[in-house]
Amino acid sequence: MSATSRQKLLSAFLSYLVVFISLLFFILPMLWIVYTSFRNTDAVFSGQVLTEAGNLTLENYNTILSVTDFPRYFLNTVIIASVVTLLSLICSIMAAYGLSRFEVRGKNALIMSIFSTQMFPQVLLIIPMYLVITTLRLLDTVLGVVLGQIILVLPFQIWMLTGYFNNIPREIDDSASIDGCNIGERLLYIVLPIAAPGIAVAAFFSFVVSWGDYLIVSIISQSQRTATVTLVLQRLSAALLVRWGQVAAAVVLTIVPTILLFAFVQTRLVEGLTGGAVKGE
Amino acid sequence: MKERHKGIILLLPALLVMALFTVYPMVRGVTMSFTNANIMRKTNDFVGLENYARMLADEVFWISLRQSVSLTVIVVLLQLVFGLILASAMTQKLPGMGVYKSIIMASWVIPVAATVTMFKFMAQPDIGLINILLRDLGFAGMNKYWFGEPQVAFTFIILLHLWRNVPFYGVAFLAAMQAIPKDYYEAAQIDGANALQRFLAITLPGIRNMIVVMVTIHVLWTFNNFDFVYLSTGGGPINRTDVLPVYVYRKSWASYTVGYAASMGVVMLILLMIYFVVYTRLFERQETNR
Repeated sequence: MSATSRQKLLSAFLSYLVVFISLLFFILPMLWIVYTSFRNTDAVFSGQVLTEAGNLTLENYNTILSVTDFPRYFLNTVIIASVVTLLSLICSIMAAYGLSRFEVRGKNALIMSIFSTQMFPQVLLIIPMYLVITTLRLLDTVLGVVLGQIILVLPFQIWMLTGYFNNIPREIDDSASIDGCNIGERLLYIVLPIAAPGIAVAAFFSFVVSWGDYLIVSIISQSQRTATVTLVLQRLSAALLVRWGQVAAAVVLTIVPTILLFAFVQTRLVEGLTGGAVKGE
Repeated sequence: MKERHKGIILLLPALLVMALFTVYPMVRGVTMSFTNANIMRKTNDFVGLENYARMLADEVFWISLRQSVSLTVIVVLLQLVFGLILASAMTQKLPGMGVYKSIIMASWVIPVAATVTMFKFMAQPDIGLINILLRDLGFAGMNKYWFGEPQVAFTFIILLHLWRNVPFYGVAFLAAMQAIPKDYYEAAQIDGANALQRFLAITLPGIRNMIVVMVTIHVLWTFNNFDFVYLSTGGGPINRTDVLPVYVYRKSWASYTVGYAASMGVVMLILLMIYFVVYTRLFERQETNR
């Protein structure tokens, strides 16, 4: 065997080793929770890894979906995450288009200060935010939660989309405006379709952040009206006697929407999140 | 309408939201840190630097600060190393690698609350996967609730951070590595450089930008992260996993002493600003030296 082919074999072996160990670490916990969600109570508490086929059941999902209030919280989360996505997209698309296409005084300082809000400790922000939301009489409302969560995603979205728009040649807009298109038409019919992949990533980002948020919901939500799945997960798993089979089912139901959406954006996600840093120097 | 005005108008909705829910709360938070504000009370008084003085004598503050810093340093360093290993493995064109690349980032998109619940379940005594496997391997004596153990709880917090973010590092570094021109490597091979030399001389400088971006955002995210610790241990056992965001949260929403909580929040902000300035300075200097 020549030296190079031996080297190739070695690097293939090492790569598969990394793949194997990392799958064990990153994927096994998820498979375990999915598996647990289909086991009956006896099996979950048996302390054994394997379950006889007869002990696999949909009982946990049945209980979670029909006996508990979980469906209600799930619906709350869908509504909140959708509204956050919609509103944050409108704001960030407009802002990013403004930053990318127009002369705005102090533009660089503005971009920098928008981005630097990422530095603000959220635990500090939520104290006065709670007071603002109380003053606006939005405590324990969907809109209150939405407005609180939007600021988690807005800076990143604006930064990300400005980069995307900057990569779209200006000439395309210019020729459209010669044809008599106004800003709205240019944005809607020309720029948005081209930037669609970037916008999909931005939308995914805000949906997933809102879906997974615990901090903001925990202070603005006061009742069932606005409680979301993350609050419920925390409550279920902090109970005195935890029914792990049902908790597992709730975890799976919480994860599934994010994984499904992830399947759509996958490869573009990193490119969007790291804002062109891919290109190196 | 002037072009300049159009730009401002487009920016208006975003700036309005941020002014009301980010800038104003930030300013208010800083001023609040000089008062004895309490959620349960309508009025509050200016107390000068009293909160900051109280902090100096607060043992839990110092524990949390120390653990916040060490958690951030350890987590970001480990993520960087494992991310590079993952990315290097993924650059190999091998059967099955495509599928692997498409599923590996799943841990990043699921809610932290779900991740924590999964790990809490695995760490349960008797019925958790970790303890079942330990028992089957002959270590039945180690059966315990891992998040409740003062000696190991902190390690488990680190594991949670790694579980969520390492794949993101891996995939990001991979994207950057693939942008490095192939002929660099070919030329180095002809010159007789071995794999390690090629990695140090070509790969690392080639993905330098990505490393800087990933480290910057993850230092901010990790230091400010609240939910991993809060949802898994709440800072316990006996403060062993306490970090500043969790302590600030408890002081605001369990003790209602928001004035004092705000002052610790301000300290967090100052620390992050110092980091940011030093780090960008360092990075710029390297840039000019090249």
